[in-house]
Amino acid sequence: MMSDASPMAADSANGVPAPFLSDASGKPRIGTDPASLFAFATLIRDTEKLILDLFSRGLVSGTTHTCLGQELCQMAVVRALDHPDDHVLSNHRNHGHFLSYSGDFHGLVAEIMGRRDGVCGGYGGSQHLAYRHFHSNGVQAGMTGIGVGLAAALKARDSRGIVVTVIGDGTLGEGLLYESMNLASVWQVPVLFVVEHNGIAQTTYTRDTLGGDIVARGAAFGLDTWRVSDREAGFIDAAAAVVAQVRERRRPGMLVIDTGRLGPHSKGDDLRDPGERAALAAADPLAALAACLPADEVAAIRASCAAYLQAVERRALASPAANFDPLPEHSFRPAQAGQVEIPEVADGNVRAALNSALHGLLAAAPETLLIGEDLHDPYGGAFKVSAGLSTKFPGRVISTPISEAGITGAGIGLAMAGRRPIVEIMFADFLSLCLDQLYNHAVKFPGMFPEATVPLVVRAPCGGRRGYGPTHSQSPENLFVSVPGLTVLYPSHRHRVGQLLADAVLRWSNPTLFLEHKLLYGEKCDTADYEILPAGDDDLGAALFPTLRRGSAAPDVTLLAYGGMLPVAERAAKILETQEELAVEIVAPALLAPLPRQTLLQALLDRPRILVVEEAHHHFGVSAEILALLAESAYSGALARLGTLPVPIASARSLESAQLPDEAAIVAAVIDLL
Amino acid sequence: MATPIHVPRINNNDDEVKVLAFDVKPGERVSAGQIVGQVETDKAVLDVTAPVDGYVLGFVAQPDEIAQVGSVMLWLGASASEPIPEAGAPTPDSSTAGPSPVTGKAKLLLARYGVKSDAVTPIDGRITVEAVERYLATHGLAAAAPAPVVAVSRPAEPRPEVPGTAVALSREEKGMAATVVWHRDCAVPGYIEIDYDPAPWAEYARAFQEEKGLLMPPLLPLMAWRLVEVARTMPRINATFVEQQRYEYGAVNLGFTIQAGESLYLAVVREAEVLDAGGFVNALGDVLRRAASHQLRESEASGATIGFSSMERWKVTRHIPVLPPHTAFMLAHAAARNGRAVLGASYDHRVLNGGQVVAALKKLSSPT
Repeated sequence: MMSDASPMAADSANGVPAPFLSDASGKPRIGTDPASLFAFATLIRDTEKLILDLFSRGLVSGTTHTCLGQELCQMAVVRALDHPDDHVLSNHRNHGHFLSYSGDFHGLVAEIMGRRDGVCGGYGGSQHLAYRHFHSNGVQAGMTGIGVGLAAALKARDSRGIVVTVIGDGTLGEGLLYESMNLASVWQVPVLFVVEHNGIAQTTYTRDTLGGDIVARGAAFGLDTWRVSDREAGFIDAAAAVVAQVRERRRPGMLVIDTGRLGPHSKGDDLRDPGERAALAAADPLAALAACLPADEVAAIRASCAAYLQAVERRALASPAANFDPLPEHSFRPAQAGQVEIPEVADGNVRAALNSALHGLLAAAPETLLIGEDLHDPYGGAFKVSAGLSTKFPGRVISTPISEAGITGAGIGLAMAGRRPIVEIMFADFLSLCLDQLYNHAVKFPGMFPEATVPLVVRAPCGGRRGYGPTHSQSPENLFVSVPGLTVLYPSHRHRVGQLLADAVLRWSNPTLFLEHKLLYGEKCDTADYEILPAGDDDLGAALFPTLRRGSAAPDVTLLAYGGMLPVAERAAKILETQEELAVEIVAPALLAPLPRQTLLQALLDRPRILVVEEAHHHFGVSAEILALLAESAYSGALARLGTLPVPIASARSLESAQLPDEAAIVAAVIDLL
Repeated sequence: MATPIHVPRINNNDDEVKVLAFDVKPGERVSAGQIVGQVETDKAVLDVTAPVDGYVLGFVAQPDEIAQVGSVMLWLGASASEPIPEAGAPTPDSSTAGPSPVTGKAKLLLARYGVKSDAVTPIDGRITVEAVERYLATHGLAAAAPAPVVAVSRPAEPRPEVPGTAVALSREEKGMAATVVWHRDCAVPGYIEIDYDPAPWAEYARAFQEEKGLLMPPLLPLMAWRLVEVARTMPRINATFVEQQRYEYGAVNLGFTIQAGESLYLAVVREAEVLDAGGFVNALGDVLRRAASHQLRESEASGATIGFSSMERWKVTRHIPVLPPHTAFMLAHAAARNGRAVLGASYDHRVLNGGQVVAALKKLSSPT
């Protein structure tokens, strides 16, 4: 515990020791006596004032959000976390949480200034910080599902650690929060949702945006709830007691802390009237703490903080601008060695192959688990891919609430904690609900933070020709292939589809979308006369997820097709060969992103005519990228593409079949190409 | 009236099921609710029951067959002798339009030989490869099975055994690779040179310099200009070979090799034939300056119809240039030795014969 008698820790790098002590993992040890609290809160406040000063001098990269007035609120819960497995997930207003967790003042200031010494090397700035088990990100409520996943991982390994997910009252408008609270309750995992209630979201008062009661929200989901104020005596102990109860009870809770923001949301956007601001300042908890201490002690603490922060500023200013060396071109981790051999199911179809792969994975790799809607027996998933698994692997096949974003977030959290979750989304159309989790979270952490890996696989049945209509028939790969850092696999019955899934789960530690066409489930797995194209040396994942080809070595036309379009392309090829006397080649990738560019160029560049066919709404999509690749590589033959027109897919079979490209459309497109 | 028993749906997301077995025989009397057979999807088996009393008339589906959900599995009748209703006429399949009157491959052949489809007699109502080949054979156009013009199959190149680092080619290097591959795979290259006296050319360039007040005698640009003039009078040196025909270009796009640092460019003056000597010398100078600073415009980096290459700068006394794609004549200029020099040309033997090349070289060996 810090006391004014022995205030110094051994941070001599500045020449000025840090005025607090740290535990073995580097976390500051902040006492509950007024002097200790006042000293650390003053450090936080003065650090943020320094940041604002640096901002006004043009030395801050981007923007920043301060917690002026909320220092005790931000310290209270984090300081009480004393287990090495405890996690903190924060948000845009995170400096108090981060400093209370890490004690890395220099790292924070340098980070916000965009300097090399920054705690994330300049990648994260003010909002996106990672340090041991601390992560913050810039999307409201975006981390709440992830927190549930982390807590589920702690529960699974019987850790005493807990997860604290901090949001502001403005975030109470986000739907994902409620998915996460519900999931936490259903799974009974040790996660504490902390609502820092300062009554205002950026410039809009919470009273104008919030219906109903805040605490009742938590209670409605069956969470233990508490409400405290950082203006009240005993607040720090009350917050510590909440942490202790969550740790003890091993179930989720919600703590609402009433607090007051003295400064603006960001900078220059505090439009509150002066009277209101004066009232907030009068209730400033730091002033109340100072009033408990002798004036000379207050002065001594302030002087010690000022000296320390001057050293922090000097050192941050001396750090050079952050730079890349070399400039990263992607954020994919390489394929891992080792393999779970998935035996091929004799005469089995794609559904059986995937089911067998999941059996093999759950049996061989204890870190794997399945999460999704209606996966349990006897139903076994909407398309029966998970049939028999919940019976054989109880507790590792989890049927969830209908919360696509929430379970994707939970999958990310589990993956970050070392598990290998396989999330099933019942229809790929619903992946739109998961988009933020994939686009802003799953792919961001490995890209920003070198130590973070997210080995998450999201499986989803996709495609039409079933008469399921506009929101149950789509092929959304075109949306997801453009997400940097997301792997998109869309194999066919010609690939070793079970092995691909197993390798995606165990050997490819990158967030991955695994698409399965509904009509392929019943197709027999058969590699037939396809051969594997040699993978280009620079093509990430191309050897693990190979591209296939079959047909003439001197083709008149090459059809490039993947996923559910492959059987259609094969039927078209047969017509072209028999009725049109053409030599036809089919090239069938399974890996759509990162696109195996070199592999495809080696196979396609000297072909005279290429038609890329896909079932997706293809404008700006996979075919567009492949055609652009060929154009950029001075391809001199004839090119065309075929996909679904940019209109909703109709339900009536007769309408749908007129919309989706079929073999006749492929044949016609080839004839046009000649 | 006969009653159909349809293939039932087991799983909402399966359109096909496997017919496992029938528990009844044709002619057998069944009662409503009686199990008549089983169908199966993955891991689930469903009994199929008779909806009404009756006699089994016959099966449509067969055991172990994959049947469409909703299709007729078997028929029941009020009496055992009732006929099975005939299957309705199949609904027309809109996805299979009739085949085109000319097959795709035949279309490619017609285009390659420049033959119109109405000249060819169809076989069984369609113009097929066989029909086109018959036409070609009777018109002396080609052997029945011509070798493909472009090699489209490329065996995978074996990787060297010695370890090393693969270095990606620059744009210019890729261009060079494409050029030499065209020269190897597409052209039928030959090379001819003649001996000539370079003194008259040197004198001509000096006089031109004096007349125009230039800093240097523009010997190479003037020789290139002479090539443009000769190409105007001998269109076959400004040509290429396309689909078994000589293809004479409508413009003279003079390509001039220039080494700029590590990069070798073929800098192109387009439509050079409309210029005069002075205009051409200026235009070529502009293009070469841009090439030297790697700022060639797209139109100046492609589209050559005839080429000029000089290695005089390196004191090379003879060289055999590679033909740029779709050209038939590349002039090779070299350094003089002992008052004599050689002027050569690489040429595409499909377009030009030796005599024609020598005739062109003779014209080029003197300035007028």
